[in-house]
Amino acid sequence: MSTTTPRREQAKQAKQAIKPAQPGAAHTPSGRHSQRWLAWIFLAPTVLGMGLFTLVPIVASVVLAFFRWDIISAPTFVGFDNFAEVVQDPTVRVSFLNTIVFVIVAVALQLGLALALAVMVQEKMPAWLRGFFRSAFFFPLILSAASVSIFMRYLFNEQFGVVNWFLSLAGIPAVPWLTTPGGSAAVVILVYVWQNFGFSFLLFIGGLASIPAETYEAASLDGATGWRKHVHVTLPLLSPTTLLASVMAIISALQVFDQPYVLTRGGPGDSTRTAVMVIFESAFQRLEFGQASAIGVLLTLIIMAITAAQFRLSKRFVFYQ
Amino acid sequence: MTGATTGRLREISRRTALGALGAGILGATVASWPRLSGSDIPGRGDNSLSIAIMGTAADAAARQRAIDAFTRLHPDIRVKVQAIQAVDWKDFFTKILTMVAAGTPPDVVYVATEGAQLFADKLAHPLDEYLRRDAADMAEFFDDVHPSLVEAFMYKGSLFQLPMDWNAANMYYNTTAFAQAGLERPADDWTHVDFRNSLAAMRKARPSDFTPYYWTNRLFGGVVPWLYANDTSFLKETRSTGGDWLWDSFYAQDPSRRLRSGGYQWLEPNADDPRVFESFDYLRGLVKDGLGVRPEEGGGSSLVGLFASNRIGTTPAGGYWVQGLHEAGMKENDYDVAFFPKWRTQRHQFGTAGYAIMKTAKDKDAAWEWIKFSASREAMELIFPNPVTTPARRSMVNEALYKGKGPAHWKVFYDTLDKYPTTGPIPAPPQQAAVETALMKNVSLAVSGDERQLKQALESMQRDLELALRRQS
Amino acid sequence: MSITTERVSTGTAPAVPARPRPKLNWNLILRIVLLMIAAVLTLGPVMWTLSTSLRSPSESFKLPPSFFPWNPDFTSYAQVFQQLDIVLLVLNSALVTGLIAVGQMITAAMAGYAFANLKFRGRGALFSIVLATMMVPVQVTIVPVFMLIRGMGLSDTLLALILPAIPTAFGTFLMRQYFLGLPADLAEAASIDGASPWRTFRSVYAPLAVPGMAIVGILAFNFHWNEFFRPLIMTISEQNFTLPLGLVSLQGNLGTGSISVVLAGVVLSMIPALVVFIFGQRALQDGLTAGSGK
Repeated sequence: MSTTTPRREQAKQAKQAIKPAQPGAAHTPSGRHSQRWLAWIFLAPTVLGMGLFTLVPIVASVVLAFFRWDIISAPTFVGFDNFAEVVQDPTVRVSFLNTIVFVIVAVALQLGLALALAVMVQEKMPAWLRGFFRSAFFFPLILSAASVSIFMRYLFNEQFGVVNWFLSLAGIPAVPWLTTPGGSAAVVILVYVWQNFGFSFLLFIGGLASIPAETYEAASLDGATGWRKHVHVTLPLLSPTTLLASVMAIISALQVFDQPYVLTRGGPGDSTRTAVMVIFESAFQRLEFGQASAIGVLLTLIIMAITAAQFRLSKRFVFYQ
Repeated sequence: MTGATTGRLREISRRTALGALGAGILGATVASWPRLSGSDIPGRGDNSLSIAIMGTAADAAARQRAIDAFTRLHPDIRVKVQAIQAVDWKDFFTKILTMVAAGTPPDVVYVATEGAQLFADKLAHPLDEYLRRDAADMAEFFDDVHPSLVEAFMYKGSLFQLPMDWNAANMYYNTTAFAQAGLERPADDWTHVDFRNSLAAMRKARPSDFTPYYWTNRLFGGVVPWLYANDTSFLKETRSTGGDWLWDSFYAQDPSRRLRSGGYQWLEPNADDPRVFESFDYLRGLVKDGLGVRPEEGGGSSLVGLFASNRIGTTPAGGYWVQGLHEAGMKENDYDVAFFPKWRTQRHQFGTAGYAIMKTAKDKDAAWEWIKFSASREAMELIFPNPVTTPARRSMVNEALYKGKGPAHWKVFYDTLDKYPTTGPIPAPPQQAAVETALMKNVSLAVSGDERQLKQALESMQRDLELALRRQS
Repeated sequence: MSITTERVSTGTAPAVPARPRPKLNWNLILRIVLLMIAAVLTLGPVMWTLSTSLRSPSESFKLPPSFFPWNPDFTSYAQVFQQLDIVLLVLNSALVTGLIAVGQMITAAMAGYAFANLKFRGRGALFSIVLATMMVPVQVTIVPVFMLIRGMGLSDTLLALILPAIPTAFGTFLMRQYFLGLPADLAEAASIDGASPWRTFRSVYAPLAVPGMAIVGILAFNFHWNEFFRPLIMTISEQNFTLPLGLVSLQGNLGTGSISVVLAGVVLSMIPALVVFIFGQRALQDGLTAGSGK
């Protein structure tokens, strides 16, 4: 990827590499044998580590979902009771709904903003200016979500916050950002998108850079300009990047915790309570580890279903060069 | 050929560099092993008496003189204070529960009212036997401490903690703002109507850029004082029997003796009480008319700054606030403190804290010695040199503590207990975390909409509380 | 061998060729105006945090806000150092983040190489499992991991934060993509020499892997430097806190904290990440740019 080979060449090679036209030694039996050994040695740390710290805990979590356990006394088997209680719990239901709404709105904003800014940045402009914009948009990503939420909370204060002060200059009356359901939800989304759009932005920059200039030349010979050029050339050629960016954005948005935890603690009401917050609350504030696991299992199933659906959709809409 | 040579040379120097880097990382890892494994934390894994307090390392260090004094008395007991940082008590209890889950529970925990029943119900060991044994030594302590504070730590007839410090929700006010609005210092028995009129006068004197009544949404100082003043609460409050052994031996002569019980019990939700509606509706009125803010959940980190910069007229707080305001640059005449306004009663809300012995403590006798020592006047003076909280001992709430920092009427702090003996603790059953969440999440909605929204919020609060109380922990 | 010296990044080349006429370009001006607005909205809150942290507590609520603290007041910073052992917090964060980053770089490079360039049975299935783990929220596995850590005797240690974070699905994915992107004739050249798979890796691929590993390292650094949830659960002693936890506790109990102090802490915590950002952003941009094309 970082050789001087033209990008299209690389893409072709990468394609081949996926259906491996393998390193030569592969076709001698001893070579294949030693490859296998090397592969397992190389995989050992990752596979063992994931087995221990991810797969075993997932299985344990599923098992735990069938027990009532508060850590202090011994666990008791309760069958599907935890699932039954969790499904009926209004707070759990609302939090799942919140999470889904959050994912849809935040991801749409994040990708839309990132794509628009990436397209604008990648077109002709002085290099120093481009460098400045790129760094600026990436900057929030280096901050911790916890500290961002701390100062954003202060910025969005109804009486004393600078956001409302600026709005008042435009004659808009003070918005009760953090004390009404709509306002809180808006703040959590805005703060989340503010911090995370830079990552999608970078991915899009990369995707745009890999679109060969000749494609645009051909397009402009055909008379496509401005908008139409982007709709007919950029979007289809960028679709693999869009898939990657959206899968990653959705997976991370589904797990949002830090921002609502620090900004609103899930309130007012349950308006900004997310699924993972409910897991945290029932496990570590109420010591209902069985119920927490049951919620976790449900959430994981939902995430898997969404991701699977995305990949299925992508078969229809993603255009590989 | 030369190209290949330089390439190889570069490769070699690169390899050396990588090797050096690797060795460096390895060396750093080995060198920092004690940090990585936590074995450099003093007292970890030994059998000294471990005491968990909420606070920072600085708070733990502030207790060092008390520890030294204790060690002189009991050279055979080694003590280690572990400061645990948390944003609020709920957060602190989460950490203690995590320690229990991790198999490393402390022996003694400094627990506030919010967690008193959680600990009494599940984790703590009662002090009864020790108090009976050392009754003669303890009489002096109880003489100096108001029985309301002690009763807050009674659970089903047993005492689990001795109150060390406490705070009531009084009303702080900005003297300049009061003067600008032409207001006098409020009378001791001012009512909720007087209070509202004062807010309106301040609003008139300073139309913008100022909040007459600032409050936050939390268990202490949020809606609860307004419920108590209106002779109600969001949970039905009952008392359990028992505890006479304590009251008879230490408070037989106390005028409020007959009020005392075996401890508070909160078993049923009470958000559907018409008086609860009335109190919420009053607060909703303040918000609607721009006299009070819509309360934010948790937080409060802006409160000191706001009050110190004269942007707030009144706010509920206790004696713990004096030092913070002093450090933020407020002079002793810039503000003062009054009783909370009267409604049907003038019952105040307070919170208190003290040490609890964990059931799992290895050496409970040693733990009791620590508690007994901490209750002594000598220890309390070492631990509370500044007004960052109100000491449980009446004799220590004195001129000297507030000199040069405190409000002119610092006497209000302890008078709250003496004048209003029904003053009650923060309602906190063993299911505190769930109950607190159920209350807090509905408060903002209740006070920031129309009457219908208020009714809905109280209905959903009642439902949430019912669910919360049904939980085991 | 010479290939190693020829690496040049291509990621920053503008995709659209220059127009021939350098006249007043309305398109350019419009774009710059829009981008400037976006940049102000992005950087504004941070600048404002900086300026508030330099005001004294009693001035922290002054409106209209003065963006330039003409008389900077450093008492809030002094307070942060008084209230928090910030040196220890930074050391802890650096240890945790550094070791996770190094661990991820090494294990991800190895696993990514195996998935990209080595042939073995079950490769596809195993890779799918690795990817699938990305979808499981950390909150779901935290309780069993917590018990596991307790069983290992590592409760409330920095190792409890480091060890579970080293195996990385995303890093493995990135490194696999990275190795797939390297020209296939590299390996062919090596195999003609009769090199074993290990030698092929060591002498041909490992040196080329460094930029890819740098991306994994920088992303790991960025993520774990700012990580909040796992430290919240896994560490109890203040001595084991990482920066984000320490900052949140600066907020104080029952409204006794001061916002300027909190913001001063926030600003201080940005500095190390900013340093990594300044030195790493070029590599990261180029790397992600290269990695996202497919």
